[in-house]
Amino acid sequence: MPALFLNLLKLIFIALVYLFLWQVVRAIGTHLALGTPRRSPRQATELVVVRSEQLAGKRFDISGPFVVGRSPDADLVIDDPYASDLHLRFGVHEGQMVLHDLGSTNGTYVNGRRVVAPMDLSKGDTVQIGRTILEVR
Amino acid sequence: MNRSTEAVLLTSASVLAAMGVALVNLTGGRGPDAQVALTFIVFMLAFGTIHLSVRRWAANASPLLFPLAAFLSALGFTAVYRLDPELAAIQRWSLLVAAGVASLTLFFLRNEGVSVLRRYRYLSLAGAIALLLLPLLPSSWPLGGAEVGGSRLWVRLDLPLAGRTLSFQPGEIAKLLVVVFLASYLADRHQSLAAMRRKIGPISIPEPRQLFPILVAWLVAFGVLIYQRDLGASLLLFSAFIGLIYAATGQTSYLVAGTSLVGLGGIAAYQFFDHVQRRVASWVDPFDDFTGTGYQLAQSLFALGSGSLTGTGLGLGQPNLIPAAATDFVFAAVAEEMGLAGSVAVLAAFALLIAAGFGIALRARDLFRKLLATGLTLVFGVQTILILAGVMRLFPVTGITLPFMSYGGSSLMANMVLLALLARISHGERV
Repeated sequence: MPALFLNLLKLIFIALVYLFLWQVVRAIGTHLALGTPRRSPRQATELVVVRSEQLAGKRFDISGPFVVGRSPDADLVIDDPYASDLHLRFGVHEGQMVLHDLGSTNGTYVNGRRVVAPMDLSKGDTVQIGRTILEVR
Repeated sequence: MNRSTEAVLLTSASVLAAMGVALVNLTGGRGPDAQVALTFIVFMLAFGTIHLSVRRWAANASPLLFPLAAFLSALGFTAVYRLDPELAAIQRWSLLVAAGVASLTLFFLRNEGVSVLRRYRYLSLAGAIALLLLPLLPSSWPLGGAEVGGSRLWVRLDLPLAGRTLSFQPGEIAKLLVVVFLASYLADRHQSLAAMRRKIGPISIPEPRQLFPILVAWLVAFGVLIYQRDLGASLLLFSAFIGLIYAATGQTSYLVAGTSLVGLGGIAAYQFFDHVQRRVASWVDPFDDFTGTGYQLAQSLFALGSGSLTGTGLGLGQPNLIPAAATDFVFAAVAEEMGLAGSVAVLAAFALLIAAGFGIALRARDLFRKLLATGLTLVFGVQTILILAGVMRLFPVTGITLPFMSYGGSSLMANMVLLALLARISHGERV
């Protein structure tokens, strides 16, 4: 059956040709998926209150300076005895969310570590102010 | 997608080429011989060189370009090998040389990128014109023109020491230089060209003196048509020119004016040149003069038709009946033996490559690089479409090569350098 055999080989070759194209298209797909979050200016721009008596579950979009503290002047007022009046400020720099501790008395903890200098935040980071915990989404 | 994916894809393409050759051998009654191994080694060597050069000198370049080129080369090479193993042996050398030249291009542009080219605007123009005029040198000279198939677009260089003759098509390189010139020129002048101050009735036109370069381009394109009898190259140069002016200014009137000039030129050419008349006549009805002028196109149509869905199988069709099957009509040869499935794969690869080129142009940050990427992609795309449309009888046959697939060293080299330039532009877009 040489004719059948050759026919089979022909189809296999065409299948391989398409396998190659499929690999290319898939590679483009992953390329695009990788490229998007890095380029997007709205990368990690949302804060969710994870632990707090009154505010748990609230979400805040961060697009500019956003101050957290006990003072009524703060953008997010938290009633937490361990928080300072103007405790910390979130900001966005070139699409990247940044945290500045505003010299708080009891400090700010990101993923359990005390913040000593302005630091970049990424998705999934937890920010602890006194007893209140925020998560970056 | 990163560089490693590129390496994997390039290797797969090399395997594909070797398998194609093996399949042709098998159907021809020969076993797997040295040709299979040789093809694999040459493809790996050529694209490996390019891959390493890209890694070293343009590490952020789009990893799509060269795998698609390798894929097209693999299918084209298989078709050429099937038609004439001796041509394929020459094509292997061309592939190595083309890869070397592309790597050298990346090396020379490693520090400043393509912006260097902007400074050599008039040098590129002069070079392009010189290259276009080169085939008009007398054939008796050691470096002289040669007429092939009624078109005078070849240059022959006698090598007295080796006792061999080297021939090449300078027009292929000239088209790159023309694009470099245009991109550089338009990057500086696009504002004055976009300003439409005058009006004739409802149509606004730019200052007449701004139109001067367009007329020059039209004359050059027409000169190529008259003196070299090369319909394809002149159409290619002019459409790239109009497309690029349109891209730079965004003024539709250039598109309208350009199209009407092409129309006028076409009508005039049809009136005065019998070779144009023959091309058009065979396009309108290839079966009218089946044994004469219509023979090539008719055979091409037979090939496309007999390919059916999955083709006759490599080595089992009769693509050698088509004149110039290994060069201009290579697509018909692929379509006959790999069918609709194979030809759609080829079209998809071309479409992806052209889309990648325009994507690079969109993301490039300064105007010169934007225009350069646009122009290079335009030239590549227009050439592909012109010859494919010719082979399929959607347009009169223009006699230019199908990039990466046709047999021919000059074309392979020019297109490899074209991709190297695009790769270098895409390297700069992400820092």
